[in-house]
Amino acid sequence: MRRAVLVSLLALLLAGCATATPAPEPRELAFAAAPEAVLQETLGVLADEGYVIRRADAERGRAEAALARWPGYRIDVTVVPEGQGARASLSATRGGRPLPPHLLDPLLAELQRRLGLAP
Amino acid sequence: MRQWWWMMPGLALLAGCQTTPTVLPTAEPQPAAECRWEADGLEPREWVRRALNALEADGFVVRDTEPAVGLVSADRTRTIPGYGDRYDTWERTGFFGGVGIGAGRGVSTGMMIGFGGAGGSIAQDATQLERVSVIADPGGVRVSRDIQVIDWRGELRETRSGSDAPFCRSLRQAMTAVPAGESL
Repeated sequence: MRRAVLVSLLALLLAGCATATPAPEPRELAFAAAPEAVLQETLGVLADEGYVIRRADAERGRAEAALARWPGYRIDVTVVPEGQGARASLSATRGGRPLPPHLLDPLLAELQRRLGLAP
Repeated sequence: MRQWWWMMPGLALLAGCQTTPTVLPTAEPQPAAECRWEADGLEPREWVRRALNALEADGFVVRDTEPAVGLVSADRTRTIPGYGDRYDTWERTGFFGGVGIGAGRGVSTGMMIGFGGAGGSIAQDATQLERVSVIADPGGVRVSRDIQVIDWRGELRETRSGSDAPFCRSLRQAMTAVPAGESL
């Protein structure tokens, strides 16, 4: 009986690993530069870190970068106009699962160093 | 207390489900210095055109271009024959056998020798996927590349950064060898 309870508990815990994946939470920052310049600089920062840029759409302000380290990392970039500058939003997944947004802070800090923050 | 020990492997597996990195991973090793060079007075769109030509000439298939941000993204695949044999040692051809002794009313002995293995391993080819992006802006050109090996089951078996000096040097040479032509 006790073994059955333990096995059920283990099965429940394992089921937790297989739950539906939520959308990754983005990290955002506003910059004192035009949207296209922010997108281009973001791609530059990602390329400097060894990420392969898989696609970009300047008109929609979107891009996707990937890193082939197991189980596979992906960063999605969205840049929208905001006031005189632009707001960049980054989110990341690891093997299709969302990564904590604070992991993106170093990338945004590097962007801030290169572009300057929006006033 | 002792009864709980059998759960430890399961708990260890569960701990694996929860693991997240503490920092955002980057390529290891980092892209070689040869993977970044000055624009040399050429417009980003001209670098994009040259990257397109050079990558296609080298067997890459261009997946996306966005001249507005100076991007060319491409990939190339090749088959690695017999890759499954490299790790699936239990499927290799070999001998097996056993000896048995039994006792009932009488005594009997037996022996068998077999020869077998996985004939299917011949078909266990893997695919190497090479992904490259070239980003050109007024400041210069950056190349990043990675390599993955996907086995015959569709599982990712190897991953590594491919932004190395020989590849980038060769790509740069191909891009600069192209005579300047009409813009995109």
